[in-house]
Amino acid sequence: MTVLGYLANGLVFSSIIVLGSIGLSLVYSIADFANFAHGDTMTIGAYTSLVTFGAIGGLGGAVLGLPYGFFVALVAGIAVAALVAVGTEKLIYEPLDIDSIGLLITSIGIAFIYRAVIQIRFGSESTDFDIQALRPIDALLPYGIRVTLHDVAIVVSAVILVVGLHVLLQYTDLGRKMRAMADNPDLARVSGIRTKRIKLWTWVIGAGLAGAGGVFLGLFNQLAPRMGFNLLLVIFAAVILGGIGSVYGAMAGGFLIGMINQLTPFFSNVVEALPIWPGWLARVAEGLVSIEYANAIAFVIMVLVLLVRPNGIAGEGAT
Amino acid sequence: MSRDSTDLANRRTLLKLTGGAGVAALSGCLSTTDDGGDGSDGSDGSDGSDGSDGSDGSDSSDGSDGSDGGDSGPYEIGMVNSLTGSLSAFGQRNKRGVDLALQQVNEVGIGGRELNIAVEDSESENQGGIAAAQKLVNQDGVPFLIGAVGSGVSLAIYESVVQDTDVVQLSQNSTGLNLTNFPGLLRMSPSGRSQSLALSNIIAEDGYDSVAVTYVNNDYGQSLTDAFVNAWDGDIAYNNPHDQDQASYSGVISEMNSSGADAWLFITYQAEFSTMVNEVFSSGYEAQFYGADSVQGANVIENTPEGSMDGMKIVVPSAPVEEENYQSFRDTFESEYGQEPTSWAAYAYDCVINAALAIQAADEFTGAALQDTVRRVSGPEGETVTSFEAASEILADGGGPDDVDYQGVSGPIDFNDAGDPVGFLQVLEVQDHAYEGIDFVEG
Repeated sequence: MTVLGYLANGLVFSSIIVLGSIGLSLVYSIADFANFAHGDTMTIGAYTSLVTFGAIGGLGGAVLGLPYGFFVALVAGIAVAALVAVGTEKLIYEPLDIDSIGLLITSIGIAFIYRAVIQIRFGSESTDFDIQALRPIDALLPYGIRVTLHDVAIVVSAVILVVGLHVLLQYTDLGRKMRAMADNPDLARVSGIRTKRIKLWTWVIGAGLAGAGGVFLGLFNQLAPRMGFNLLLVIFAAVILGGIGSVYGAMAGGFLIGMINQLTPFFSNVVEALPIWPGWLARVAEGLVSIEYANAIAFVIMVLVLLVRPNGIAGEGAT
Repeated sequence: MSRDSTDLANRRTLLKLTGGAGVAALSGCLSTTDDGGDGSDGSDGSDGSDGSDGSDGSDSSDGSDGSDGGDSGPYEIGMVNSLTGSLSAFGQRNKRGVDLALQQVNEVGIGGRELNIAVEDSESENQGGIAAAQKLVNQDGVPFLIGAVGSGVSLAIYESVVQDTDVVQLSQNSTGLNLTNFPGLLRMSPSGRSQSLALSNIIAEDGYDSVAVTYVNNDYGQSLTDAFVNAWDGDIAYNNPHDQDQASYSGVISEMNSSGADAWLFITYQAEFSTMVNEVFSSGYEAQFYGADSVQGANVIENTPEGSMDGMKIVVPSAPVEEENYQSFRDTFESEYGQEPTSWAAYAYDCVINAALAIQAADEFTGAALQDTVRRVSGPEGETVTSFEAASEILADGGGPDDVDYQGVSGPIDFNDAGDPVGFLQVLEVQDHAYEGIDFVEG
């Protein structure tokens, strides 16, 4: 496989990570705690769209290898993920009068509850969308790129959502208020911003994006009750790499972590080709830069970046 | 004012006392579940749980009385199963086998008493398995533990909970090779070494001289792969582990593809393997697949595109399907669950039957006594019997553990010194996106 092929794989995987990490960072910046239930919010989105898609079917036509019904199911997944997150905020996080560490630990419990509910309904075995799997796009094969139309759909949808969020943050009233609140919640409140309402909107956007990420993860791979939680560690790495609390940082971090994860085979080819001296060092390097350590390598790069930029790529508070 | 506060203090004291009594009563209940206890005292113990009226904490001592009695209550043994996590498919199969066996044992009874199995979930992980086993062994005090599914989990349980105690551990589904090094850890499913040998023979017979192997990064994957590498004479173009539960394995399969080998061997679990097959399909690679038993399952067929793994060959430990006792097991299983049993269900079934016979043959319901009988009731000495009922009759007529040779529905059992059974293997081929048995191999 060529470098281009690995980059293409990385782009697809990054799209999913980016959708997950934006929500996590957004909630951190405004609700002020690291939400461990975020991964399972993705799972909720995925299973909602599975049910919706099962109920409404393909609805006739298809675009990018995906039936129209899938996009309706995607919207349903986003909506339900957002709804569940808002409900959890209203019922649990808001009434709890505890600090951010308390909320963090509560959210771990919430994650278990989400997962258990899904497991009760769907069992713990993996399942998948009833969509015909595709072969790679022939036109791209000569370049060594092996992606399907579904992968293209994932990237395109993720780009649309990310651009939409950018427009919302930069050019709308809500976006300005959200940025103000992330910078300084007290000052925002004093200036007449209804911070509670903004907080709810943050949950809607963050969880909605997570829901979309979950649906795409289900399409990319398959659905299982642990799918979101298994990805959560990588998403946290992306958020911290980008600078926790920063949406644009989360985008950059998600993109980098996803890329590094998928580029590991390429790195190991490079290490093998490099004239490393002495011989034992080359062997050690070849042993370490290997596909089994893809996540570990991503984390090492994260640590290296943090050593140079302690606050992450985007630095402090630049929502 | 002062009166009020006294009242309050009194009420507090009362609350404390009732609370204490309640806790004591509850702890009484806990110990009753241990050895079953005799029926009437046992139910007193559960009365104790509503000891919140606090009037008689003495109920709790009634409860603990149950633990030293015990002639008519059920025998309780423990089981660690994979109800959730990546091996949950095995857990489901086990459950069906166990339920069926329990039903048949309790129809006959063990010397007039029933058998009860306390099941805990390992979540298919070492930590979960250890916690489950600790609960069963240390809290419930079971002398016989069936568990677990994953080889790593079985070993973790053995090393941190069972070793240095008298408790008998009998794994229902573990096929990892290194379990052979722990003679105290019994298992019902044959060692994976036979699988690795069979796979290397089959791949060689199919005319491949180069193979790419990827295995799940744990005891099971590592040991099967090591055995395969030892047995394989040809070239190994790729040999790397992968982690469980990853969202993508496209790196692994693209490396396998660039290794140039035409035969790809997967020693991993179903969820991981489905992901890989999907990615092989969507990347447009072509290769002849081979797999160890754990990559086979109905959910793999469901979650992979039609035709994506046709021609794949898988070696699975198999029940002796030509034997009469297996066929009757299959018929009962089918009428009960509406589907054919897997060999995994048969192993779990035999675990329960073997445990029940060991209990009946033993002088007392303790780990030490069961250690002695568990191998002998299914060992090669004695009269050959194929059902619990027949074996139970011999024991009831005064027969010792050596007078019975229980032949399981999964095979002759006959644990060797290392705690491994004799087993059979079946070769499956994927044809038209379904598994077809094409051959049998001796284990």
